[in-house]
Amino acid sequence: MITLELQNISRVFPGTVALQDFSVRWEGGKIHALIGRNGAGKSTLVNILTGALAPTTGTMLLNDTPCTLRSPADARRTGIAAVYQELSLLPDLNVIENILLGRLPVRKGMLPGRIDWKAAERTTRELLARLNISLPLHTPVRHLSVARQQLVEIAKAMASSPGVLLCDEPTSALSHQEARCVFELLRTLADHGALIIYITHRLQEIRTLADTVTALRDGVSTGTVPSAAATPERMVAMMFGEDVRFSRMIDHSPLPTTVLEVRGLTRHSAFSDVSFTLRAGEVIGIAGLMGSGRTELLRSLAGADPPDTGDVVINGRICVPRSPAQMMHCGMVMTPENRKDHGLLTLLSTRANMTLPSLDRLAPHAITNRTREEQVVARMQRELDIALADPEAPVSALSGGNQQKVVLGKWLATDPRVMLLDEPTRGIDIKAKAQMFQTVVRLSREGMGLLVVSSELEELLLLCHRILFMQHGRITGSADAGSMCLETLLARCMESS
Amino acid sequence: MSRRPHHFILELVLVVLCITLAVLAPGFFSAENALNVLRNISMQGIIALGMTMVIVAGEIDLSVGSAVAFAGCWTAYLTGTFTGTLGWPPAVAVPVAIGLAAITGFLLGSLTGFIRMRFRVPSFITTLALMTGLSGAAELITNGFPLTPFPEWYNALGGGYLAGVPVPALVLLCVFLASSFVMNHTVFGRSVYAVGGNEEAARLSGIPVGRTKTTVLAVTATLAAVAGVLQSSEIMSGTATTAKGWELDIIAAVIIGGTSLSGGSGSVRGTMVGVMFLGVIINGMTLLNVNEYWQHVVRGILILTAVLLNRAHVTQEAFREAAA
Repeated sequence: MITLELQNISRVFPGTVALQDFSVRWEGGKIHALIGRNGAGKSTLVNILTGALAPTTGTMLLNDTPCTLRSPADARRTGIAAVYQELSLLPDLNVIENILLGRLPVRKGMLPGRIDWKAAERTTRELLARLNISLPLHTPVRHLSVARQQLVEIAKAMASSPGVLLCDEPTSALSHQEARCVFELLRTLADHGALIIYITHRLQEIRTLADTVTALRDGVSTGTVPSAAATPERMVAMMFGEDVRFSRMIDHSPLPTTVLEVRGLTRHSAFSDVSFTLRAGEVIGIAGLMGSGRTELLRSLAGADPPDTGDVVINGRICVPRSPAQMMHCGMVMTPENRKDHGLLTLLSTRANMTLPSLDRLAPHAITNRTREEQVVARMQRELDIALADPEAPVSALSGGNQQKVVLGKWLATDPRVMLLDEPTRGIDIKAKAQMFQTVVRLSREGMGLLVVSSELEELLLLCHRILFMQHGRITGSADAGSMCLETLLARCMESS
Repeated sequence: MSRRPHHFILELVLVVLCITLAVLAPGFFSAENALNVLRNISMQGIIALGMTMVIVAGEIDLSVGSAVAFAGCWTAYLTGTFTGTLGWPPAVAVPVAIGLAAITGFLLGSLTGFIRMRFRVPSFITTLALMTGLSGAAELITNGFPLTPFPEWYNALGGGYLAGVPVPALVLLCVFLASSFVMNHTVFGRSVYAVGGNEEAARLSGIPVGRTKTTVLAVTATLAAVAGVLQSSEIMSGTATTAKGWELDIIAAVIIGGTSLSGGSGSVRGTMVGVMFLGVIINGMTLLNVNEYWQHVVRGILILTAVLLNRAHVTQEAFREAAA
């Protein structure tokens, strides 16, 4: 029986301790879940286990023998393979080529280096038979569903028969049904004796899939329990601490006027029949997993990917989203989830970024007016407390938090009535987060309607009047955030799937 | 957009080069030679300014060389038809022919933009096809021989002087002032930088991506047609074999001027310096009796050096930012 034991593993980065005295003993033939909120130290642990990072102190024992991993290649040789959320397949190559990539069997003889396709096919067939999955061997993986591509990915990792398989959120892009075939495969592997470490955000998967649950909080292990004992309350306590008390930041009531009404909005294969109303001064949160359609919904509302059917009414005026420019003129704007690729133009200066959407207003007769632009930058710098040394320097020079404020500022400069915030606190530090919360509260007090998507459920409790639950592209319910605690919110998210 | 010291390095190198040549090359430092250089660079320069906008917008136009030849032949063909078959007086026929050539250029550029936006075909492909197609069309129009239907006075456009300055150089100056204003002081110019820097982020910011890209492509194709008319006026004929390989000289000048081929950054001012730089180098080498084949080698080295210099600055700046 294979075992993996970590003894007092710590990893220190300049300024922070990412992982502190982490100890655990995992056994083969079982699936071990690893949970924790963003920044809890899961990625650091994964990197240590796959040889990408060396621990500062501590020992790792594989089958009770100390082992030191110098590189990911070293880890693979030792028998630790990993599968990630992002697929590493080559889309135009077929299943055989992908699985045996880098170790395709070659023929010896007259022309050395010729690939032995028969042997390759035989090896692949044997492997897939052992894993008890069937895949079309000669189809380019591009034509397979994402779930089956994930199976190829796992088969590829298992081709070298590793004893330990590390799965870092392999199902986050899959629907519940699709995830099921990945679960079956993992169970087969565990039954064959493999040690599987499974990292997930979807707590509801754990009880059906895992044998044990280990939680990390702020770099420290908060214990390992058998999954039968891992109730939602228990897991929340392990992830967030026993005493989860948030002081709600939002305490005013929304105004009676409706600023946004969405009726039966549908975008095929993303979300369907979404209806809700947002009042002036109200903050609504959307709780849903990645892939639930929450980001797609926001993008459609903002005109980035127009919906197929349904009505959007802003301030009593019907606006069918067609383009971001049009929705901006209707008074609804979005700060996107991906700041670098969608939120900012990293080559341009802070001033150019901040004024881009409102440039038409700031530039009479289409001729730009630097003074007016600088006034906007100065106003936003003051209102949002942006640490800005030089507004003319490329915006990429700013820190994550300040960049996020620039994204917020560029949309505030258009005087919107409704703002859609997709993961507004992703990748920013604690101080910037607190300021982001204050800004949301201030804007809602001033009468703006806000719709917030966040993976951090506790943030939604902090900030929102109401929470909508979203799943498989549908709104499955709504609840008053004021009367909810994190345990019930989490339980609600889990039970509804 | 901000002015930093390294932005003037190319200007500095240009000045040093001019001083060196003034000392070494007999006849370099004279008004006559200066005007000569100006005339030589102006037609490619006019197109290079448009090309700058195209490259900043994240696109490319490979058809400009063929477009010059085509526009010259098309103008000659139309002039010949109007004066010959229709019997129009040249004073009417020539302006109408020039106008039609410019409109044709505009439409071809718009077509490239339309295909780029509607069918997602990269402008590299469409303009590569246009490059071959227009070259063939020019040969078809002229039947392989230069067309010479132009009246004597037509030469004033490409070969004439106004207040002692070659007319094409004046056109270049006007195009420079206009493009400089557009790129630095208008909403449209800002949009060009935005769509080239990050198309999706620009779209999400409400920038009309399709209109912006199509416009710069159309403007550049029009400028190529204008240069083609000037060229045909200078040589007093529509010749299909003229302006071969100009597209690469022009792109080289734009890159030497500091514009990034990946889009989103660059300036028409830099291009202007890049154009002058190449013009002065060639002129200097000719005056120094450098073998023509060597001239090509030197130009190749120059392009690479300029890009490497630019890269060094970008990297340094990135380091400084990372440290800050």
